[in-house]
Parts: sequence; structure tokens; C-alpha cells
Amino acid sequence: MGDLVDSMLDLMRRLPPTNVEENVAALVGMCPDYADDLLGSVDQPLKVLTDRATGKEYLACDYNRDGESYRSPWSNEYDPPLDDGTVPSSKLRKLEITANEAFDTYREMYYEGGVSSVFLWDLDDGGFAGVVLLKKALNPTSPGEPSGSWDSIHVFEAAERGRQAHYKLTSTIMLHMTDRPNLDDNDSGSGSASKEKNNKSEAKRDGEVSLSGSMTRQIEQDWPIQDQNSHITNTGRMIEEMEIKMRNLLQEVYFGKTRDVVFDLRSVDDLEKARRQRELQKELVGFIKR
Amino acid sequence: MDAEERIVAASKFLLQSPPGQINDVLNDVRNIISDDESLQTGVLPALIEYNVTQFITVDVPGHQHQTIVSEAARAPQEEGVEDDGDRFWDPRSRTSFRFDHLSLEASEPIPIDPDSDSEPFRAALENATLSYISAHFHSGVGAVFSIPGNASQFIVQIVANKYNPSNFWSGRWRSEYTINLEERKLEGRIHVNVHYYEQGNVQLSTTHNISLPLPPAISASSASASASKVLALIETEESKYQSSLNDAYQEMSEKTFKGLRRALPITRSKLDWDKVLGYKLGAELTANKSAFGAS
Repeated sequence: MGDLVDSMLDLMRRLPPTNVEENVAALVGMCPDYADDLLGSVDQPLKVLTDRATGKEYLACDYNRDGESYRSPWSNEYDPPLDDGTVPSSKLRKLEITANEAFDTYREMYYEGGVSSVFLWDLDDGGFAGVVLLKKALNPTSPGEPSGSWDSIHVFEAAERGRQAHYKLTSTIMLHMTDRPNLDDNDSGSGSASKEKNNKSEAKRDGEVSLSGSMTRQIEQDWPIQDQNSHITNTGRMIEEMEIKMRNLLQEVYFGKTRDVVFDLRSVDDLEKARRQRELQKELVGFIKR
Repeated sequence: MDAEERIVAASKFLLQSPPGQINDVLNDVRNIISDDESLQTGVLPALIEYNVTQFITVDVPGHQHQTIVSEAARAPQEEGVEDDGDRFWDPRSRTSFRFDHLSLEASEPIPIDPDSDSEPFRAALENATLSYISAHFHSGVGAVFSIPGNASQFIVQIVANKYNPSNFWSGRWRSEYTINLEERKLEGRIHVNVHYYEQGNVQLSTTHNISLPLPPAISASSASASASKVLALIETEESKYQSSLNDAYQEMSEKTFKGLRRALPITRSKLDWDKVLGYKLGAELTANKSAFGAS
């Protein structure tokens, strides 16, 4: 029933991104047998947890989950504690520690705040895979302040081939923003001042604008390797390049494409006037030609 | 989940359908539920709710225009006409019809007489609404309704849809206004939904509520002039709202987006990844040294 998973994924591509958690939970309830397929293929907003041992924040997703517990990249401990929770081999854990430090620097340089986490796991074929998570939220303390969140999920597989490594990277960025437009009636032009004051006190407007969603891109590349740490510099460069590209793409789609559709639905300028003007122009051209 | 809970969940999915994609969502849900019989009757209430709240448009049988299916468009009960709650009407052509909530088609048209007290003002509002729509919407549909037994209250509804599945986007503008000549009030709301889904799922969703006093010159006795004034008021409000949306875009792009992630680090260049690892190595060495020094 590959069909069923396709239908679930198609559904998630159409339903509002702001309800993704609720909708995934409903789908899991409807088709419990496909829970793993669904949870593994639909990205959900990252949860911020606090490492009990170090007090440092880390990110939780399906990749560091074992049952109901999540593993912290800082202490390598599961919360709630697990005696037999899956952990990377000691060689990979060493790389994971270095990767977490490196991407923490990356996070600070680009996000100037937020939380990052890297998780690695061994693959059966001898290679390894990992996920680099970044999250930043702007929580307004007053109505006029910006409100939004950014979640990056970069999943990669690394396969060593001699002095080269082949990387497959799948990146998803979830971006959510809300705004409450300011519609105070203090710029309405003519009319006697007293009448306007009267109208102003009675006129009421309120509302909200929400732009939210996610975009996913994939890339495969080969990079040279000198030692284990080369995997960090290589995936680091790939992820940095991908985030730069995707940030441009998000900017284009969020602020360009969706805005164009709004202005395609309704025109601020009078379309009738424009139509008449075009006709007049045609007539005029015909007149001059004569 | 039992069968009933699955229908409830499926209904919730349908109600969240983006503009022009109810059939795609329904197909997905059908495949997931895989029980057509219980689905068809079970999700009908959700389909009805979706259609009437989303101002679904329909070709009026026997006429060359479209009208809006909404709560306000429910046909007045008439003797001898079977009505299972699926009859709506188009005041413009004075036609009531049966609406199929699944195929979105109208059938069984019947002529219907409007309320003579409210009809002159309603018709004037309709004229003004239609010319407003042709001035500001590329593919808009409008309908104006009076409220049975109330000659001083009118509802203006406007909807504009653009569906472009081959380029993975769709959009809907909905607005609704209640004009109350007795309470001298104009109340309205505007909703805009845009869905962009090429290798992703990005949605714009806006809500906006308006409440304005009606200027004294507006009255039922001067129907034509008053209707134009009401629509001028709506035009000003909607244009103002559209430019405020522009400001919201600007605000989110300049402040929120930039505040979440920089385009480049403050150094204006990409990271030197060898150094990123090196720094840490350096820091570790220093830490180790001082540890040795302390011993």
C-alpha cells in the first residue's frame, strides 16, 4: 500500500503548515500501521529541550528519539533516562561532539541566537548518516514586535570511497511568520476635523497576516577527505551553501510569489479605467495613422 | 480510532482544504479511509460547511453568470418545493436551484419572487457591487442578499479565485459586508488565502475585521446614490487593507525574516570551516595546557 503513504504525503503538502502537528497526529491515529513511514517523511517543528546534565538547550526530532525519550547531543543521555537507548559508536560519538561544536559556531554566526543540535548514526553498510538541526524563534513581548520561527532540518548520508566521500543531503526549512497590520485611521485625507474624529472613534479594524510553510531541496556531492573531521567541514560547506540558496528561495516564494497572487486576485488600480485608457490609446494610434 | 472518529478526522482535513483543492484533498482522504460508503454520507456535512464558508461559486442554470453558495444564499422555503437544505438562490436572476455539494453543480432551477420591500435597495447594491468587482477583481463573483422579513439589512459577498495547478499555486479573496440601515453600521471581514506548493507547502492566511458607522447620506429612499456610497466605502476599505498587506509583507521581510537568519555572517563572508574546527582545537589545547599547568 505505497499508495496510502503517497496519499498521506499529498495531503500534508496541501493542508495548512500551521496545523502540521495536529494533522500528523490525526493521520497516525487513522493509520497506526503507517506511523513510522509518516513520522519519518513529514518534518514537524523542532522541540526545544534542556539537557539535565549540562543545562544546555538541544533540539528534539524523530532522529534522536527512542520510544518516548530524546537523546541530548551534549551529554549523550536520554531524557527520560533509558538504560538501553541507541547511541552512536564511540568513534562516531567523537565526531558528533566535534560536529555539535562546529555547528554551534555556525549557528551563532548566522542566527545570532537560537539552538542547534547534530545527531549521527551508523549505517549498516559501514557509512554513517546524520542530521543537523537549527532553530530560532522570535517571540514578541509587545504587539508591534516581529513574531516568527525558523527550523532547519538537514539530513545527510556519507559514504567513504577511498580519499573521497559521497554525500546525499536533504534539507527542509520550515518558516513561520505572523504580523498584525497597523490600520490606525490617522491618515485619512479630507473632511472636517470634528467629523473625522467622530468617525475615527467608531471605526474598528483588526486582523492578522500569517505566512508559513516549508520547502525541501536535495543535493548529492563528492568531497575529498583527509580524516574524520573532513566530514564536518564537507557537510558544513554543503549545508551553508544550501541554506544560503534556500534562504533566497524562501524570500522569493514568501514575499514575491504569494504577494503576486494576492495582487493577481485584486487590483488596487481601477481595472475599468485602465481598460478605457487602453481603448482610447488604440483609437488615438488609429487616428494618428490615418 | 473507530469508524466514526475516522470520519471526524477526515472532515477536519476537508475543512482545511486550500483554494481549489477540495477534490484533491477528498481523493487523498478517500484513499486513506478506503470505505467509500461511510465516507460519502459521513463527510457530507463537512463538504457543505466548506462550500458555504468558502463562498464556492456556481453557474446559475439558464443564465450567463455565476453566483455564490453561502449561508446567506439559502433559498427561502417555498410551498411545494422539496428542500433538503440543498437549495440556494441567486437574487440577481431570481432563480433558486439545487446545489450538489460534491460535484459543485446547480440543477432544478425554479423562478423565485424577491421581497418587494427590500428589493429596490438590494438591486441597487447589486449593481454597485458588480461594477466595483469589475473595477478591482480579475475574476471576481459577487452576490447581494436581503434578509427575509428585514428591509433594512443587506449582505454583500465577494469572492475571487485563481487556481493554477500546473504552476502549483492557488489563491482566494473573500469579503463579506453586512449593511444595517437601522443601526447605521457597516460590518465586514476579509479573508485572503494563498497556497504555493512547488517542492514545498507555503500558505498565506489573513483575517481582517471592519466595523464602520454609515454616513448620514445613506438611506433606503435614495437607493441608487446610497448604494454607490456604500460600495465607495467598501472600495476604500479594501484598497486600504491591500496596501496594509503590502506593509505587512515589508515588515516581515525587513524585520522578521532578517531577524531569524542573516544572509551572511557579520563578517560578510562565508565561514572558513577549517578555521571553525581549528578554533575549537585551539581552545581545547589551551584548556588542556592550563589543566596541565594547574596540576
